[in-house]
Amino acid sequence: MPPAIEHEICTACGTCVDVCAEDVFFGSKDGELPVVSHPEVCFHCYLCVNECPSEAIRLTTPMAMTVPYK
Amino acid sequence: MEIETVGTDLLVVGGGIAGLMAAIRARDLGARVVIAEKGATKYSGAARAGNDHFMCYIPEVHGPDLDIFIRDRMLGQRSDILAALGPKVVRTWLEKSYDIVKLWEEWGIPMKQEGKYDFQGHAFPGRVKTYLKYQGKNQKPILSEQAVKRGAKIMDRVMVIDLLGGSDGVTGAVGVDTRQDRLLVFEARSVFLGTGIITRLYPNIIPALWGNNNHPFTLSGDGRAMAYRVGAELFGMEMMARHAGLKNYIRSGQGTWIGVCRDPEDRPVGKYLTEPNRYYHDMIMEVDKQIFERYQTAGLGPVYMDCRGISDADHDHLLHALEDEGNRSVLEHFKEEGINLKRNPVEFCTYEMRSIGRIVMNEKAETSVKGLYTGGEESTFSISGAATFGWIAGGHAAEYIKAVPSTDTASLKSQVDELKGFVEAFQNRKQGSDWADANRALQHTLADYAGPVRSQTMLEAGLRHLMRLKEKLHDTVVARDRWELVRCLEVVNLFDMAELVFTGALERKESRGLHRRSDYPYTDPLLNGKILVIKKVDGRPVAEWRDVPR
Repeated sequence: MPPAIEHEICTACGTCVDVCAEDVFFGSKDGELPVVSHPEVCFHCYLCVNECPSEAIRLTTPMAMTVPYK
Repeated sequence: MEIETVGTDLLVVGGGIAGLMAAIRARDLGARVVIAEKGATKYSGAARAGNDHFMCYIPEVHGPDLDIFIRDRMLGQRSDILAALGPKVVRTWLEKSYDIVKLWEEWGIPMKQEGKYDFQGHAFPGRVKTYLKYQGKNQKPILSEQAVKRGAKIMDRVMVIDLLGGSDGVTGAVGVDTRQDRLLVFEARSVFLGTGIITRLYPNIIPALWGNNNHPFTLSGDGRAMAYRVGAELFGMEMMARHAGLKNYIRSGQGTWIGVCRDPEDRPVGKYLTEPNRYYHDMIMEVDKQIFERYQTAGLGPVYMDCRGISDADHDHLLHALEDEGNRSVLEHFKEEGINLKRNPVEFCTYEMRSIGRIVMNEKAETSVKGLYTGGEESTFSISGAATFGWIAGGHAAEYIKAVPSTDTASLKSQVDELKGFVEAFQNRKQGSDWADANRALQHTLADYAGPVRSQTMLEAGLRHLMRLKEKLHDTVVARDRWELVRCLEVVNLFDMAELVFTGALERKESRGLHRRSDYPYTDPLLNGKILVIKKVDGRPVAEWRDVPR
């Protein structure tokens, strides 16, 4: 479920917490690793990924959202 | 609960395209402006990651006669909404649109392709192209910067929950901090509502994934609900629309697709395109959103978006446009899955029902309540409707406030106290259902009783059930933290709008567009040229037919 934070790379700067309009990271504390409290409302806008200065966030795609193709 | 009072001339509710343009314009004209945004203005709203199409009239491209352009435009896409808005609103919109394009260009949003205005997509071959291709990836940071440098005060993480005043005029609003236990009382001489499209009324195609939608989950039509509660007129709540696009991965972006919708035998399912075309995307996906669903239920599908045969240049263009339209996530997903659009047709499907109800607005962006303005999806559509009417509203609000005395704080006290009590009720309850339970109950009630096929008996039963659920919402739902509190308040708005959907659907005794009545299966010509206006009278919604303003 989106997003996934790479713990070893994350510097706990809080940028993703500031950016997310849906407050997916609600409850995250200053200076600590962000918590992904509400992955179910993630809009997949990629803004947290774009803005993260350490490239520590990956957006995962739920299986249910996989696009079928031929 | 801490209470903070903020005084301003213009309160902008929603820091989206419309709100930012209203703020910019009002600041230019000297009004004090506060933007209250539920999320984070630079990163919020449907436009947050970019868009690529701006409806406008450019004389040097379209010719000097705006009337001819309008006549041709009314033959095209979404002309039903344009017709409902009326000729004055449409003319004002298109007349102003080029000025907005030029402003955006000046502020750093690329509106030209290789130095030229290029119109692409959302048009039928042989008909006028009215959507300017642009690169809107950075539109939100750019517009936010323009607002801030003019001195607009942005208050992020604030959900405005109700307007103060009444049908005689607005005097301000009340909001909640979405993170701290704080209530904000805005004393404002005027208010602009720009809270966007309404989502979450109907179940989306994968209900468990609340966020899987082409508009953000937080767009709960707060502006419309508040407009209704303060006594403003709304219209068209019973009218519906659906969108279509990638199967399972719900995204916007129709004009972006350089391809043809084909069945499993590679036959085009529509009559408009047989080969991919950069300038004309396959309009079948705009004309008949339900074609994908019908093929599925008839066992004739799947239906694919087939981009095979496009040139490398067009493929490149398509990928860039996907990104400009805010769909980087789609590109990443395709990479993950090894999908190459030049080789792999991708499935498309029909998305959920939406109400396209709007706030009644005139060409000055005024609602029926003095001092209350609106723009964007609240009253028109598309980026252009947001940018243009936001701008227009800012101008008129700045003029209006000159003759308005500042609000007498004492007069607001009882309204503020009532709202505070309302909010605290959700916080203080110890046990009960949560926002998600209430939202799900709402969604399947609408889907079952005010869904694809409606009737007097079903609508009455549904409305009765809705009102019982509404009591449960107000009396038993618990917010276990601040995040849930905001969700509860959104669901309150959704319930109010659902009541208007039922009210309108009951009154509209005909079938028109996606509003289908089994007991009135025909479209009634006597209702052509009319809109169904709903307004709160003595606490209840009352529907009234009105001619579209000339």
